[in-house]
Amino acid sequence: MTEFKAFSKMKELMTNYYIEAKTTKEKPIAWITSGAPVEFLFAMDIIPIYPENYAAMCAANHQSVELMEAAEEAGFSQDICAYARTDFGADLTQGGPAGGLPPPHFLVCSTNICKTVIKWYEVVARKYNVPLFIVDTPFLHEGLNKDLIDYTVRQLKDLENFLSEFMGRPFDRERFYKVLALSQEAAEQWKKMLYLGKTMPSPFNSLDSFIHLGPIVTLRGTKECVDYYKLLYKEVAERAEKKIGSIPEEKYRVLWDNLPVWFKMRRLERFFEEKKCTLVVTTYANSWGGLGNHQTEAENDPYELLAASYLNVYINWGFEERIKYLAQLIEEFSLTGFIMHSNRSCKPYSVGMYRLQEELSRLTGRPGVVIEADQNDPRVYSDAQVETRLEAFIESMGSN
Amino acid sequence: MFEPFYEVINNVSKTVLKYEKEQGRPVVGVMPAYFPMELIDAAGGYAVQLWGNNLPLGKVDGYLQTYCCSVARSVLELELVGGAEMVKAYAFTSLCDTLINLREVYKRLFPKPTLEISIPMTQTRAARRSYLKSVIQSVVEGLEKVTRQKIRGDALAEAARIRGRSRELQRGLYKMRRQRPGLIKNKDFYAAIKTGFFLPPIVYNEMLETLHLGLDGLEDRGSKGPKLVISGLVFDPMEIYGILDELGVAVVDDDFANGWRTVSKDELRVGDLVEGVTEFIFNPAPCCCIYNPDNDRHPYLVDKVKDAGADGVLFWYIKFCEPDAFDRPQLMERLREESIPSVTIDVELSMTSFDAIKTRVNAFCEILEG
Repeated sequence: MTEFKAFSKMKELMTNYYIEAKTTKEKPIAWITSGAPVEFLFAMDIIPIYPENYAAMCAANHQSVELMEAAEEAGFSQDICAYARTDFGADLTQGGPAGGLPPPHFLVCSTNICKTVIKWYEVVARKYNVPLFIVDTPFLHEGLNKDLIDYTVRQLKDLENFLSEFMGRPFDRERFYKVLALSQEAAEQWKKMLYLGKTMPSPFNSLDSFIHLGPIVTLRGTKECVDYYKLLYKEVAERAEKKIGSIPEEKYRVLWDNLPVWFKMRRLERFFEEKKCTLVVTTYANSWGGLGNHQTEAENDPYELLAASYLNVYINWGFEERIKYLAQLIEEFSLTGFIMHSNRSCKPYSVGMYRLQEELSRLTGRPGVVIEADQNDPRVYSDAQVETRLEAFIESMGSN
Repeated sequence: MFEPFYEVINNVSKTVLKYEKEQGRPVVGVMPAYFPMELIDAAGGYAVQLWGNNLPLGKVDGYLQTYCCSVARSVLELELVGGAEMVKAYAFTSLCDTLINLREVYKRLFPKPTLEISIPMTQTRAARRSYLKSVIQSVVEGLEKVTRQKIRGDALAEAARIRGRSRELQRGLYKMRRQRPGLIKNKDFYAAIKTGFFLPPIVYNEMLETLHLGLDGLEDRGSKGPKLVISGLVFDPMEIYGILDELGVAVVDDDFANGWRTVSKDELRVGDLVEGVTEFIFNPAPCCCIYNPDNDRHPYLVDKVKDAGADGVLFWYIKFCEPDAFDRPQLMERLREESIPSVTIDVELSMTSFDAIKTRVNAFCEILEG
């Protein structure tokens, strides 16, 4: 990874966050999906816990296989999302970093990242006998419209009622607006940092952005999160100004679509560096940058803007929108090609990807490649197969 | 008695072409699951249900990964090899992530219109109602465009009556199977249910009425083998029923999305279409793909087994179906608590070798028979 001084700050932030979550006696714990409106929880002093993040940590620490095997031993099929399997395994064995997650008092899940999370959270709700609140954000086959926004707003207001009832006190609207402002600021800082990738050579790469995702996912809506990304931005901007690239020599600049392959981060980093190829931009990390669209003044109806933000995420878009966005990124970031990770664990990201690749290549004239892998399960990953495909792809960029 | 049903399911294209010509109605391919086909009927369309097929998979590999379920893959293969030329439009529901994206794939690949009942998975009732209202409105408009015919109230009521009758007759078969195990061979039973996927409902109803008359006159054959309830998404491949019949297994009830979960639905209430469709989607049988905490699958399945007097449960797992796979371990655990044995078989619609399944089911039967 590119060395950033801010990294130690992030480690400290995330460690403190987990310590508080594991030791708190006062604050309730809510497990929540990565794309859910966490601002409501912070407004009510509830600690959000992200099973997805935790599963990614397990894989990055090379602990996912043993955990998934424990889940499979308990009957969970290898066909289900590897994040879910990793977490189920951690829950069953109390294994993984920090010895598993603190048990939830309730669950919040939003379908903007997939419908599968409903199934995952249903399993958890049954296991812990805790309530599950779903914020359903239907897929945008034909883009956003008022019906979708109204539908989501009503659910967000119902979420307030749910939280108020759970906490036995009125929903803290005043605090909520403050949290929203912080959330928006953090998302903007994150996006601003990511867009420094337009600089040539890119001062960071997507593997860095995957690592630095932690706070924007988990602490979005806190001051610490804003401060952290300001710090990171400053450092990255400095590198951009001095034209210090994330790799010694940048010949190719590519986009990465889908989640990272968490258990292969180091190897892939070395591979790309050797090939003089920078992963400059990724649809995955960008998703949290898009959450800064909501405004925070009450008179602007923040609920509608918030609903629009949470509906309007890349993975919830129809293919027409996805292709347009990808083409725009290729143009704006001066990319020489793109990599699509056909991720066995993530169907909303992956199903239809072959067609997207074909159309995007045709539209932009840039080569693209689809690699078959998984975000968390090394057992379905082949170094040889993936690297052979990537080598051929990089060669094709060279001949363009 | 079942020959006419096999005639249909073994000659699907021929059958659909015949009725398309006879009726002069555009064929609408209906993807899994719970799309209220009454709307298609009332718009003057010919609804044909697509629950997958057993085509050898080839072309689809260029469009869908092998980790997509064989329902999605085989349905797309059918269109890619030109086997669905007669289908003029596709009707989807947002049942799972694969089907949601599959609609996008269809939109990119084929010029045929697609419609979708986007199922609201919220417990915020007022939001669900108003959203579903807008969804139904858009589906109605889409259908009317495909068929160039307005959906009139009287046509919808008539469609509801006819489809309601189909399901009522199917429920009659289910009841007969529960009460008189072994009377209908498993394969014959599902041939009769499957036939309904492809026929105009009025034609299908006539066949079912005739079948009922024939079955009523039969003497019980009895059943010595184990009695099972089967749970899964799709009740294919049919070859497995041949194995069950051979092993003397009597399937006494099921929990298939295209079996009882659909068959159990009452006549669609069209007076208040939004309420009617809500009821149609969410009740009475729970489904792994539909979030509905008020209708828990666990007690439901336990009761089903007890009511049917079954000896055990066979989980019929179509590979890569995540909603089904997520539910299964806890469901099996619940069954264990109730001392109800269960076993899982992994199936793919395009599979050609059934030896492993036979061995597994046989072993399960031996356990049940002590």
